[in-house]
Amino acid sequence: MEVLLERLATILDEPAVAPDDALQGYANWDSLAVLSIVAMAQEDYGVVLQAPDIQGAGTARGLFALIEGHRAGR
Amino acid sequence: MNLVFEAGRITGNLVVLPETEQRFEDDMVNFDFPRERSLKLKEVMGYDRHRIAGERTCVSDLAGFGLRTLAERGLLDVASLDALIVVTQTPDYWIPPTSCVLHGALGLREDALCLDITQGCAGFIVGLMEALQWLRQPHIRKVALVTADVLSRRISPKDRNSYPLTGDAAAITLVERAEPGVQVHGCLKFDGKRSAALQIPAGGCRLPSSPETALLQDCGDHNLRALDHLRMDGTAVFNFVMNDVPPMIEALLAAAGRTRDDIDYFLFHQPNRFMLRKLAERLQVPYERVPDWVTGTWGNSNSVTIPAALAGTLGAGAQTNRYTVCFAGFGVGLTWGGLVMPLERLAFNDVVDYREP
Repeated sequence: MEVLLERLATILDEPAVAPDDALQGYANWDSLAVLSIVAMAQEDYGVVLQAPDIQGAGTARGLFALIEGHRAGR
Repeated sequence: MNLVFEAGRITGNLVVLPETEQRFEDDMVNFDFPRERSLKLKEVMGYDRHRIAGERTCVSDLAGFGLRTLAERGLLDVASLDALIVVTQTPDYWIPPTSCVLHGALGLREDALCLDITQGCAGFIVGLMEALQWLRQPHIRKVALVTADVLSRRISPKDRNSYPLTGDAAAITLVERAEPGVQVHGCLKFDGKRSAALQIPAGGCRLPSSPETALLQDCGDHNLRALDHLRMDGTAVFNFVMNDVPPMIEALLAAAGRTRDDIDYFLFHQPNRFMLRKLAERLQVPYERVPDWVTGTWGNSNSVTIPAALAGTLGAGAQTNRYTVCFAGFGVGLTWGGLVMPLERLAFNDVVDYREP
């Protein structure tokens, strides 16, 4: 989770990302951020995420659960 | 599907670029995003400038200019063409085929075959395979493969997903009968279930263009598009390219009895630098052998990007050197395919700026 928070902070160009803040509330949340998360999830976790699932994850904690769910389901 | 061709080889390649060059930083004023965020996109994707055709310039204008340029330079006698294959998704008319428009404009022989193919990002691959197939006919020795699009007409300038990467262009690639023994391996795959990832919803018979289909709408992501415009699901396309293209390339190399190291250049369709670098990493090939500069310099011109990468990367070197290349296209359809072939002794491999007649 810590690693994911750091990666999200880099992607969103923020000093830090809190686990329960709405991802869509960050100023730099856009299609580039979503694409960067898709690429990061493939490289770091080996999972393929779809844009609607990322949008639906809501928070960093939700995204972490989404990634873990995909990894468990492999 | 794995394919094998024995009939032909590329003997020349000319790319025609419209003169108008637009810069990403000028496009940015049309986007509903903070300036800094668009600059971030520019940096990540490698966007800088792109070529856009004039409002009245059509595919047959760009392609006709290229064919006439070759004739003027003494590189092509149009009367020697046995077939003209045009790959485009932005034809001059619904009826007739653009190949027939060019046939008339250039005064080709009645025995010269005309064929239009509706294909996009993989259009050069599909067109080249078609050319190689026709070359098996005893009376077909020389085929002009024209890839051309003015897709900017169908892209919203207020769509940051698609507009900054779009370019217009045409290419004339000559394909001729090869000496026996030249074997070309190919692979071609389709998945129509995912076709909505790249679609222009209106303008065909399913949803004819109307004042309603021309209305710009925010689809919820700050990009304004009309139903008449191209819609690209960027993440779906990214996932497709990362997951479906590498296995196809690996299977193709295996079928051709080649390894990655046997390939001098992987001349791929050019969606953007970001995706091409990720693809190179996935294939474990150094960036230098996967040219990725086309979209940021000329724009992504749909089926023209592979001949553009060929002309701009190898240039006149392809007239004197011998290369083994792997071409691959992927996108619209969804379609993905590739060809592994030798390139040598091209009579020309050049780029020319279009001038209005």
